[in-house]
Amino acid sequence: MKPLNKFYTMLMILGSLTPVSLYVKAQDSTKKDLLVNIGYYNVNNNVAYLGIHARTKTDGKFKPVGGAKVRLYLDKDSAAYLTGDLITDAKGEAYTTLSPSLKDLWNSSATHTFIALSNGDAAFNAARTETPVAKARLQIDTGAGRTISVSVLELKNGSWTPAKSVDIKVAVRRMGGDLAVSDKESYTTDSTGKIDAEFTREGLPGDKKGLLTLVAKVEDNDLYGNLQVEKTVPWGSVLNSENSFNNRSLWAARFKSPIWLLFMAYFIFISVWSVLIYLIYQFRKIKKAGRTV
Amino acid sequence: MENTIIDNKITHDLMPVPFGFWGKIWTGILLLFCGIGAFAYCLQLKNGLAVTSMRDYASWGIYISNFVFFVAISLVGSLITAVLRLANVRWSTPLTRISEIIAVSAIIFASIIIVVDMGRPERFLNLVIHGRLQSPIIWDVVVISTYFFISLLLLYLPLLPDLKLLIQSRGNRSDRLSKVYHFLGSFWKGNPEQVKRSRKSINLLCITIIPVAFSIHTVTSWLFATTYRPGWDSTNFGAYFISGAFLVGAGAVVVAMYVFRKAYHLERYITGLHFDKMGRIVVMLAMLYLYFNINEYLVPAFKMRKPEAAHLMDLFAGEYAPLFWFAIVVGMLLPIAMLMFKRGRRPLPMFIAGIMVVVGAWFKRYLIVTPTLLHPFLPMQDVPASYHHYFPSWQEWAIALGSLAGCLLVITLLVRIFPIVPIQETINEQHETAK
Repeated sequence: MKPLNKFYTMLMILGSLTPVSLYVKAQDSTKKDLLVNIGYYNVNNNVAYLGIHARTKTDGKFKPVGGAKVRLYLDKDSAAYLTGDLITDAKGEAYTTLSPSLKDLWNSSATHTFIALSNGDAAFNAARTETPVAKARLQIDTGAGRTISVSVLELKNGSWTPAKSVDIKVAVRRMGGDLAVSDKESYTTDSTGKIDAEFTREGLPGDKKGLLTLVAKVEDNDLYGNLQVEKTVPWGSVLNSENSFNNRSLWAARFKSPIWLLFMAYFIFISVWSVLIYLIYQFRKIKKAGRTV
Repeated sequence: MENTIIDNKITHDLMPVPFGFWGKIWTGILLLFCGIGAFAYCLQLKNGLAVTSMRDYASWGIYISNFVFFVAISLVGSLITAVLRLANVRWSTPLTRISEIIAVSAIIFASIIIVVDMGRPERFLNLVIHGRLQSPIIWDVVVISTYFFISLLLLYLPLLPDLKLLIQSRGNRSDRLSKVYHFLGSFWKGNPEQVKRSRKSINLLCITIIPVAFSIHTVTSWLFATTYRPGWDSTNFGAYFISGAFLVGAGAVVVAMYVFRKAYHLERYITGLHFDKMGRIVVMLAMLYLYFNINEYLVPAFKMRKPEAAHLMDLFAGEYAPLFWFAIVVGMLLPIAMLMFKRGRRPLPMFIAGIMVVVGAWFKRYLIVTPTLLHPFLPMQDVPASYHHYFPSWQEWAIALGSLAGCLLVITLLVRIFPIVPIQETINEQHETAK
């Protein structure tokens, strides 16, 4: 091959690759950042569970990212510390519990760090998030005069010690959500790690025995994550709900028609058809009168 | 002597006559439409309601529009026969038979088309076995059956004296028609006891048919009004339907009067006076129906509640606007404008106005049924694009047109067999006038 020909060949190869490289670059520039939050949840001081929330910013708004693949680690991002592989749902959420193989590691310390890693894909850049968590628990108790005492205890040096300046919400469970026990939305723990809330929702309907479920919550705390504890108390009014399902009504089953409707319908039906039967009788008379002549 | 000549002349004029050339063509066309409708129905039976354009939202289409139309037309029997007879209005005598024939034919096809809409006709039995008395559908089944029976009696009892004349006119012939006449009326001798019982029975029927006729259309309106939907959520629906039914029924009688008068040369019996009187009735009924329409549309339009707004805007200025304004203008406003004047109440303009009323009324029933179904309170989401619109499939058109043709065929056959104008009553009235 002549040197000139070689030059043209090289130029053609470069020329043909340029759009590809530009396309790849353009692809990179259109990738978005994936924002991953790690949530730590402990309900009624049972085994904790973890949640991740994947979002991205589009047109100035955060939108959930479904189908994002995230690896969750405890303390270190290596295979031995893997808690779970998660894929987010349409709401950009995924949940898991701690892997049993990490039990010893979990018990070895009062504080841990959760690490979420996403390797990125065609649409999103790789992302890494770390969230430190300190082990804590909530205790709820009730006293005279319908007061509710809630304590936050943090694990320090192997013992549970009061945690101060923690915001707590105290509410009562209702069907559509949680209703604050008084007009005060939240409480902050004092130096003893405790708050006292007054239950002012007098006459609130409970269940058949008048039981209500109280709930104390610490939400999205930077150190303790999300903690929640419940207690059932007999402070509600007894609910005597009448089940009208099987009563006679316009919307009931076939043999449960209201009496008034039965009366009206049969009265009208019998009245009209009595006249028609009488007319048939008259018609027979007319026929008979024709034969006897 | 003079009376006998007049009687013979009347009898001769009003006797049913065999189909002529055009009569046969007309019957053939109706049979053709019925045949196409029957074929389309066979396809529907074979493949199910999927052959129609009705889907999850527009689950009632032109079958139900047709049903409401037939029920409406059937009310004419009670209007002309019962109301006018009880009011002692004598001029309506030549129109009573026409009205009753239309009523019976329409109620037969109302029953048929509702079974067509069910998709699985064998399941009609379930209405009887598992029907709930609380459901307006059951009330409709009961009241339609009752109304059919009363209409049949109201057609049959006044026919008895004419059957005697028909039997006499056939002489000793033993053809099929003679056998039918003998089967139906050979016992009628016209003796005083028979006449007395017959009159009493007819009067009782006229009294009974009025509340039943009001019930049939009120209950039909409740099929809609008891369902919470934009356009149907009205306490006025019963009266609205009844006024519309009387209007379309009167319109149908006017059309029939003109056609039979022309085809059977009945100018001596169905006169300009009858058209004039019927014209006045049609104007009154059209105004009444217009009043109810203003009520039904203006009041919700004034409030424009969000779910109603989409439905109303679709009717006033959207997809259904041409049909809506056609039904209002052609079905009500133009007939009122035409028939307000004496010149408009002559036979031909009356015929045109009658056609306009009937056609407008059919589209009005369609507008009552379908647009509402396409505007549910909850938004239509995650459904195929075809679910958002409704246009009947060819099978639906064929069945609907077949049922209309069937109704006209029954009218045509009844008119072929029985006198269109009551002969004996006309003779009696003639004698009374002569006195």
